[in-house]
Amino acid sequence: MTAALLAYLPLLEPLPGIERIWMLLLLPLAFGISMVYKAMRVTNLDRYWRSVGVMTVQIVLAMTGLAVLLTLLVQVVVPMLPAE
Amino acid sequence: MSEATSNPTRTTLNIGAAMLAWVVPGAGYAMLGDVRRGVLAGAGVLGLFLAGILIGGVDVVDRTEDSLWFAAQAGTGPIAWVADFANTELVKAGRVGELIEVPSGDPRIPAQPEVSSLKGVARPNEFGTLYGAMAGLMNVAVILDVLTRRREGRP
Repeated sequence: MTAALLAYLPLLEPLPGIERIWMLLLLPLAFGISMVYKAMRVTNLDRYWRSVGVMTVQIVLAMTGLAVLLTLLVQVVVPMLPAE
Repeated sequence: MSEATSNPTRTTLNIGAAMLAWVVPGAGYAMLGDVRRGVLAGAGVLGLFLAGILIGGVDVVDRTEDSLWFAAQAGTGPIAWVADFANTELVKAGRVGELIEVPSGDPRIPAQPEVSSLKGVARPNEFGTLYGAMAGLMNVAVILDVLTRRREGRP
């Protein structure tokens, strides 16, 4: 891991070690989307960062909920269905 | 009296500001007099785009191999073409890293072109590409908002 970091060329090659924590990449993605969306929608920019935080949490919770539902569907419901 | 105030149902389109919003993300708002909003929107779009390249390498922007993804990434403006140019000239041309042969494992399949040792695969490539595409699509939403938004200080 240390050797990979030393040889790492930022912006030219993939970030080393990201495969193990790829699910956490949802957090900055949701934050970035919220930043742009709220910059468009918020009338009073004094409440901007609070709105961004709320929307980021909403996105993460919604995606987590969808993941749980799909996991239940695939792991529990589908195996209960008759084969033919 | 401007046209917008004489006819309240008619919306004035800010075509110049919308074009600027594509060239420099966030600059459209600044042109309409809302600099702070422009800085926030631009930071979000460019932050997403650069984060994508940081995660997956510059290979995540590829106009020839991932043309549909590039169509979404192009919403960020000329920076998408700059990233594609850097990918083509530095990574795919082998100026950075090295070009390696791709073993086919099947003699009936013709030899594949050499690929860069820096080519991104799997999750980093997927997420990097997605980040860039989301940056482009969000900037398209910003451009549409700039197109129909009233200028600061106007009724």
